Amino acid sequence: MRKQVLSGLLGVLAAFVIGALVLLFQGFNPVTTYGALLQYSLFSASGFAATVTRAVPLILTGLSASIAFASGPVNLGQPGQLIMGALGVALVGLFVRLPPVFLIPLCILASLLGGALWSGLAALLKRAFAMDEFIVTLMLNFIADYFALWVITYPLFDPSALSPMTRRISTAAWLPDLGGVNTSVLFMVFAAVVCWLIMSRGRSGYEWRMTGQNSLFARIGGCKVDANYVRVMLVTGALAGLAGGLMVMGGPHRFVKGLGANYAWDGIMIAVVAGSGVSGTFLYGLLFSALQQGAIGMELVTAVPSEFIDVLQAVIVLVVVAGRVSLNMVFDWLATRQKLKESAE
Amino acid sequence: MNVLFGLFSAMLIGATPILLAAIGGTFTFYAGIFNIAMEGMMLVGAFCAVLGSFFLHSWFLGILCAVAGALVMAGIFVLFAVRLHTDEFLTGIALNLFAVGLTTFLLRDIFHVKGAFTDAGIRAIPAVKLPLIDGIPILGRLLSGYNAIIYVAALVTVLAAFVIFRTRFGLRLRAAGYNAVCLSSSGVPASTIRIWSLIVCAVCCGLAGAYLSLGSVRLFAENMSAGRGWISLTAVILVSGNPWGIAIISLLFGFFDGLTVFLQGSRIPTQFTAMIPYVATLVSLYLYSVRKRRQA
Repeated sequence: MRKQVLSGLLGVLAAFVIGALVLLFQGFNPVTTYGALLQYSLFSASGFAATVTRAVPLILTGLSASIAFASGPVNLGQPGQLIMGALGVALVGLFVRLPPVFLIPLCILASLLGGALWSGLAALLKRAFAMDEFIVTLMLNFIADYFALWVITYPLFDPSALSPMTRRISTAAWLPDLGGVNTSVLFMVFAAVVCWLIMSRGRSGYEWRMTGQNSLFARIGGCKVDANYVRVMLVTGALAGLAGGLMVMGGPHRFVKGLGANYAWDGIMIAVVAGSGVSGTFLYGLLFSALQQGAIGMELVTAVPSEFIDVLQAVIVLVVVAGRVSLNMVFDWLATRQKLKESAE
Repeated sequence: MNVLFGLFSAMLIGATPILLAAIGGTFTFYAGIFNIAMEGMMLVGAFCAVLGSFFLHSWFLGILCAVAGALVMAGIFVLFAVRLHTDEFLTGIALNLFAVGLTTFLLRDIFHVKGAFTDAGIRAIPAVKLPLIDGIPILGRLLSGYNAIIYVAALVTVLAAFVIFRTRFGLRLRAAGYNAVCLSSSGVPASTIRIWSLIVCAVCCGLAGAYLSLGSVRLFAENMSAGRGWISLTAVILVSGNPWGIAIISLLFGFFDGLTVFLQGSRIPTQFTAMIPYVATLVSLYLYSVRKRRQA
């Protein structure tokens, strides 16, 4: 655990140094750039609130990818599952009239079901026809994307809008802001705690992780590997769907074109950089959210385009992941030397 | 008749980038690398092609820039996956993300636009009339007058089949994937072969990228590879790397891709026709699994 923290900190630091070099090379001042980045994401009340709100879809899709990768299934379908979850909320929010106490839980349920439906489809194809979920979920992403575009262009099109989007969902399903922070954060934190409990305290989480590390061992040990596979796919799909649902309920209150496009691969990226751990996913989700939020301010104050953050994020992923492996090798080498010394004395 | 000609040429146009990337992927497939970075290599190639063509005023230098850009990506892959022993899958994912981030950043930084960059100053790769075949009535119309890269792609496929199955390098390449330890102990470092396979892959993906941005259009759009790298990976897996099989699968995808363009005027909403290549991928995966089950 301490090794993980150390390699993570060193990796992020190294990535920032590489980013600074890129900035220098482009003729920007890295100190003012990073200063603006922090100012607009963490060290101002409104920036911090926006960072936390932005972290909701990032952490939820990150958790979805993390749990999937740690348990074996290579679910790369978070973008598609997010869209289906958001579509579920849009449908319920547009056509069901209930007071908030009932409508909000119903919407949450719809988002979970929407995501689980899409990942369940991939799980079904895998179980019935042995089709690799890794490619299936990817292709389903594109299909979900076009499907949603069709839905908001024709059946649910808002005639008063200029670009494809639905009408606003019922106000009873809106999640309000509390002091700048959207209440969708509460649902996200709750989901993250549940995920942590399942993965590190629950029996099913233990079985899943065991299957992820060695499915043959898990099978011999008595785990129902196939049933667990379907369960993991459904749970991870539901998490991604929740991300989409909360985005609609907390943000624009409607399904707009390109919803979730910016978060498409971020969940997978966060899971990869966090080494598929739940707590790591939470922290890196916050970090990446801060970067993305700060980027907007950075572009305002300095001449650096906000897309610089996309580069910085990818560099962080590469450096942290590679650093983890190399650092482990260094640690092993140090430990061996220590042991050799002790046995020599 | 015109419809058939149109569909045929649309098929070749759609198949070319997938074919090139998949041929590149098959080299790494045989070398035993789980390479999913074709998407990123293609995207960087497409961007560098526009960069080179716009600033150096030559489509040929544009292609060279595309290959160079893809080679840089391959260099990063080698550094992390081969040298530092990072997981190939994770490296590939990170590289693909890096490609998207880098190209959108540079698009903004160099050309000061968001979304897409197009300019009259970008030189496109010219079409080529085949000397002899062009004169023959129907065959000439079918096969002549396409973009130069399309002929390069066909040539690359034949070359790949020859290199992989008929040369010493090909033998070593397949040995690197089949039993790397055995190859290394017989005096040929498997990692060297893997690095070469990645270099070949980058060259192919660079060409594919150049075709995307300088072929039938002259523009670079954010994320313009649009999953073609993933589809080419599917093609490689479906036929276990055989170049001829890849050619057939790519043509099939090209056909569906062409169909997409073709059906745009019809009453089916474009959103559904745009799904066709991805649905076709799923269907081909399904057929593959059925065939496999029958064999077993």
